[in-house]
Amino acid sequence: MLNGIKEPVLIIEPTEGIIEKANKAAIDKLGLSVTGKTLDMPFSETFMLVSDNGTESTCIDFSSSRINIAQKEYVLAIGKTSDGERQLRMQLKNLEQEKNLQEMKTSFISMTSHEFRTPLTAIAAAVDLLETRIKMDHMMNAFYQKNIAKISTEVFNLNTMLDEILTLSKIVSNNYEVKKTPVNVVKVIDYLKFQYFSERKDERKLEVKVVGEPRKIPVDKDQFYKILTNLISNAFKYSTHENPQVKLHYHAQKLVISVSDNGIGIPQKDIPHLFNSFYRGSNVDGIDGTGLGLAIVKTFTEMNDGEIKVTSEKDKGTKFSLTFRYA
Amino acid sequence: MNRTILLIEDKPALTDTLKTLLELHEFNVLTASNGEEGVAHAREHRPDLVISDIFMPVINGYELLEIFKKDSQLRHIPVLMLTAKTAIDEINLAMKKGAAGYVTKPFLFRNLHAKIIKLIL
Repeated sequence: MLNGIKEPVLIIEPTEGIIEKANKAAIDKLGLSVTGKTLDMPFSETFMLVSDNGTESTCIDFSSSRINIAQKEYVLAIGKTSDGERQLRMQLKNLEQEKNLQEMKTSFISMTSHEFRTPLTAIAAAVDLLETRIKMDHMMNAFYQKNIAKISTEVFNLNTMLDEILTLSKIVSNNYEVKKTPVNVVKVIDYLKFQYFSERKDERKLEVKVVGEPRKIPVDKDQFYKILTNLISNAFKYSTHENPQVKLHYHAQKLVISVSDNGIGIPQKDIPHLFNSFYRGSNVDGIDGTGLGLAIVKTFTEMNDGEIKVTSEKDKGTKFSLTFRYA
Repeated sequence: MNRTILLIEDKPALTDTLKTLLELHEFNVLTASNGEEGVAHAREHRPDLVISDIFMPVINGYELLEIFKKDSQLRHIPVLMLTAKTAIDEINLAMKKGAAGYVTKPFLFRNLHAKIIKLIL
């Protein structure tokens, strides 16, 4: 009798959830082995089974109701394939479209941020040329100096912003793989100190302190550089007189890296929001920034199985601590 | 005697400015707008230093480094890379292929100048 029904139908024994009988439509969809199969208990009024005929898999939605056959209670489940399939295909199609859109967005941002660097580089070079020429002609004065410096600073700020937007857009679209390799952090710090944090106008230096026996940590090199560059830049940016400090403390199982400064600090009320994109502390007036740096730092730290903590006191200074295990 | 620098860069807006800047700092400057032209100029004029972009048409910066390293007459000329990419991997690749140093775009001329001085004076 059940074979006369076009939809797949199952008769289920309700206490154990065993499929006792299946009609032809159900066997066609789910295979002969469907009878005798135990369903995950407790099954609800509606449930889904995956049919796999070897070439493609589709889901069948079943809605069930209790019936009595020869004074015994059973569950009769009737499946709806056509509608469910169509719906699923639609959902899949939408998902795919969304994915394509996301990819387009990422490659657009990546392309523009790369292309923007060409004019930025030309502007920076032209400003340098103007400055050199004005000096050579003995025409430099405080006014020129100030405004030339302003153009130059803003060009580099714009460049940093591009970097951060690019990084964040890659994070958002899950475009970052974590490629862990053993990294010597002492070397990384030396490199950064030399490359980015030396020959500063204000003569300040990065102080480095190492405690314990250095060991390598497994992290993605590129991401690790971004984490440290960001934190050290912040330490310089939000303090004025004293040298920022990096301390590497090699414990038995883990390395704790702390980056600290004696700067303006972070007000207590801002700390819970500190790692949100575009959030900036309430006391940063006049200090440039996008509010993206720490969001990136936190994401990369966690992607590399590290932990980040911050302690800060307003007008006293800030300390960020990163913890990475050796294995 | 003034040192000669070969500048290989495909963006004319940057080439002109950089050429003038280098000349104001008393270098002789030759320019090329792609790697192939750059290699030809290098073979003909034997500059003291090459400053080259990485991403450019015909022969890119990596290929240029390979050609330089294989050529006994070019092997000893230091090549300083200008790169728009800040990815550590790409910088490492250029250094592995024998670059003498690199500067990321945009750059401050005084940083580029400091590197040039270190390499050829």
